[in-house]
Amino acid sequence: MVSLKLVRRYLLRHKVRSLLTVGSLVVALFLLCLLQSLVVALDAGVRNAKRNRLVVQSAVSLFVDLPVAYQQKIAAVEGVQHICKWQWFGGRYGDDPMAFAQFGVDMEVMDRLYPEVVIVEGSYVDVMADRRGCVIGKSLAQRHGLKLGDTIPLIGTIFPGPNGAAWEFIVRAIYEPANTAVDPGTMFFRWDYLDESVKAMTGESPGTGTYFLRTAPGADQVAVAAAIEKLFENGPQRVTSSTEAEFNAQFVSMMGNVPFFVSAIGTGVLIAIVLACINTMLLAFREQQHDAGIAKALGFTDGSVAGLMLAQSLLLCGLGGFSGLLLSKLLEPAMRALLGSQFPGYEVTNQTLLLGALVTLAIGLAAGLVPTLRARSLRVVDALRSVE
Amino acid sequence: MLVPLSYTLRSLFVRRSATLLTIVGVGATVAVLAGVLALRAGFTTLFAQNGREDVAVFLRDGATSEGESGLTRETCDRLIKTLPQIARGDGPEGAPLGAMECYLAVRRPKADGSGETNVPFRGIERASIALRGDEFRIAEGRSLEFGADEVIVGRKLKNRIADCQLGDVVQVNTVPFKVVGIFECDGPFESEIWGDFERISVALQRPVASRVVALLAPGATGDGFAAFATMLKEGADYKDLKVVVKTERAYLTDLTNAVGTVLLALSVGLSVIMGIAAVFTATNTMLSAVASRTHEIGILLSIGFRPLPVFLSFVLEALLLGLVGGVVGCLLALPINGIETGTTNWATFTEVAFAFRVTPGVMASALQFSLLLGLLGGAIPAWKAARLAPTVALRRR
Repeated sequence: MVSLKLVRRYLLRHKVRSLLTVGSLVVALFLLCLLQSLVVALDAGVRNAKRNRLVVQSAVSLFVDLPVAYQQKIAAVEGVQHICKWQWFGGRYGDDPMAFAQFGVDMEVMDRLYPEVVIVEGSYVDVMADRRGCVIGKSLAQRHGLKLGDTIPLIGTIFPGPNGAAWEFIVRAIYEPANTAVDPGTMFFRWDYLDESVKAMTGESPGTGTYFLRTAPGADQVAVAAAIEKLFENGPQRVTSSTEAEFNAQFVSMMGNVPFFVSAIGTGVLIAIVLACINTMLLAFREQQHDAGIAKALGFTDGSVAGLMLAQSLLLCGLGGFSGLLLSKLLEPAMRALLGSQFPGYEVTNQTLLLGALVTLAIGLAAGLVPTLRARSLRVVDALRSVE
Repeated sequence: MLVPLSYTLRSLFVRRSATLLTIVGVGATVAVLAGVLALRAGFTTLFAQNGREDVAVFLRDGATSEGESGLTRETCDRLIKTLPQIARGDGPEGAPLGAMECYLAVRRPKADGSGETNVPFRGIERASIALRGDEFRIAEGRSLEFGADEVIVGRKLKNRIADCQLGDVVQVNTVPFKVVGIFECDGPFESEIWGDFERISVALQRPVASRVVALLAPGATGDGFAAFATMLKEGADYKDLKVVVKTERAYLTDLTNAVGTVLLALSVGLSVIMGIAAVFTATNTMLSAVASRTHEIGILLSIGFRPLPVFLSFVLEALLLGLVGGVVGCLLALPINGIETGTTNWATFTEVAFAFRVTPGVMASALQFSLLLGLLGGAIPAWKAARLAPTVALRRR
C-alpha cells in the first residue's frame, strides 16, 4: 500500500523544487498541444471541406486566369447546380501587404454555395444593392474596427485602381463562419464591380482564377469533374477540377516539411522535459534513501517503498502535465485570435488532449523508473549507512 | 578573495548525473533554437545575399512581386531600348543588357509523390543569361535554344520535382517543353525552370511580361541609383509608364521579409517557452547543489570568504552548466547544416529549396541564449547560498 499522505509530504518537503518541476511540465505540455494544434489547423481546410463542392482551376497554375466564357459551359455540365467565380484581388490595406485575403465573387450565388458563411450583420441583399458593397469576416471587422457602412480602401497590386488611386469597398454585411474550415478574416466583394472597373480602364475582363461549383444532390463528383476537364482538353486553357478537400490539400502540401519540423521541435521539447523530470526524481531519491532504509527496517515491503517513489513521480508529472493541457484548452480562443488569419482552424481537439495525457503518463513512468527500481532493490544496511 | 575555480569544476563533477541531465536538457532546448535560427539563416541568405546591387528589377507600380506585376511589351521595349542607365554588351553596337521576363507559379507534382507544389516558371530572353555572367553555369546538358520549345531546370529542382531530369518533358497548358539542361545559378533562381519568353507566352496565351531585369551601367549603381529611381517614377519622360525600379537585392529582401519575420517570431516564441522550462530545470539542479553543499558553504563563509565571492562561485557554476549545455546544443544542431529542404514563400506563392545554415552567427545566438538560461537558473540558488549564516550552515551535516 502506498500512503498518499506520505507522497504528499515528500512532494511538499521541497516546495520550490516540486513547483519548478510542475512548472516546466506545464510549459512543455502546453507547447506540445500548441504544436499539435497547429498541425491540426493546417489540415482543417481539408477535413472540413464540403463534399458537394468542386473547384475548377487552370491545369497550369493557380495564377493563370480562366476565361469568363467558361462559366456557361461549365454550368451546362450535368450535375452542376451552382457556379461562382472566385478572383483573388491581392489588395494592400494600409502598410500591410498580407493584411487579409480579398476575393471577387458572384455575390448572388454565395448563400447557396457557401451556407457556412453565416451573415450576422447586414445581408446579401444590401451587398447586391451597392456596386461597391462587400462582405467581411467578423474577426477582420474586429481587428480593424470596421462596421457596416465603413469604407475599406485597398491599393490594387494586381489590378491598379482608377488612375492609380485606391479601390474603395463599402462594408454591407459581416459574416461568421459556421466551422473552422472557413477563414473568419476574408473579404468578399462583387466580381461584376471589378469587371466593370477593370474593363473601363484596360478594355479587358479581369477573368477569374477559379470557379467554385456546387453539385446537385446525388451527382457523381468524379464524373462531373472529368466531364469538365474534358471540355477544355484542347485549350485555350486546360483546367483541372478537384473536390474542395483536394483543392485545400494543395496549400497544405505547399507548406513542405513544416509538419516534420513541428514534430522535430516537439521531440526536442520532450527530451528536455523528460531529462528535467528524471533529474528531479533522482534528487528526490537521493534524499529519501535514508528514509527508505528506515521504512524497510520497519517492515514496509520492497514493493510499497518502490511504489512510493513511483507515486511521487506520477503525481508530480500528472499535476504538471494536466495543468498544461488545461492551460492549452483555456487559451484556445486567445491563441486563435493571436494566430489570426494564418491559422483559422486552430483547435485543441480531444485527440490532441488524449495524446498529451498519454505523453504525461509516459513522462511520469520514465522519470520514476530508475528511482523506483533502485528503491526496490535497496538494502537496508546500505540505505541506513547513506547520508544525504 | 574569490572562491577557486577548481572548487566549482569539481562540484560539477561530483554531482555528475544531475550535471549531465541538466546539460543535455539545456542542450535540447538550445538545439531547437539553433535549428529554427539555421532555417531562417538559410532562407534569408539565399535571397538577400545573392541579390545583386548592379542588377535592376522593373515592376509595375504597386506590385511587390513578379506574380502581381504585369508590363506590356511596349513598356518593356521602351525601358530596355531607351534607358541610358542600362548597360550594353561588348562591341560598339552591343545590345542593351536588359530582358523582359514572364513569371508564373506552375503546379508540378513532387518527385517523391507527396503532393503538388508551385514551381516558378520563368520566360527569359538572351540578355537574362548574359547579364548573369559567370554566376550562371550549365551543370548538365546544354543551354536552351531560343525559339524552340525547350527549358532548362535549376539544379535544386532536379530531384525534388517530377519530370525535371535531362530529357524529360514538362507539359505547360497544351504545349510540351523538353528539358535540355540543368543549370546552376547562385540565389533563388536554382529553384526555377527557365524557357524562352516568346515560347512560354504562346503556351500560356499570356502575352504580358512580369518584369524587366537589366544590368545597370556604371553611373547608375550605388549613389546614382536613387536618382535613377526617382527619375523613372517622377521624370516627365517615363512617368506615364507607371513603373518602379529596385535593385535586385532590395527586391529579394522585400520578398523574404514576411517569411523571415515569421521564422524569427517562431524562434523567439519557442525559445521563450522552452527557455522557461530549461530555467526551471537549471534552478532545480542548482538548488539541490546548494542544499547538498550547505555544510561546505558554511565552511567557506567561516574561513573568510565574503558572501559575494560565494554568490559568484555559484553563478559561475550555473553559467558553466549553461555554456556546456549550449555547446552540446550547437553540436546537436550541426548535422543539419547543409540539409536541403523546401517551403513555400507566400510572397511569391512558389516553393523555394534552401539549405539549413548553422552559421557562426546562429551559434553565437544559441550560446548567448544558453548562458542566459544558466544565469537565470543560477541566480536564485546562488543568492540563497550567499545569504546563509555561517553558524546555521555549519550545523547542517
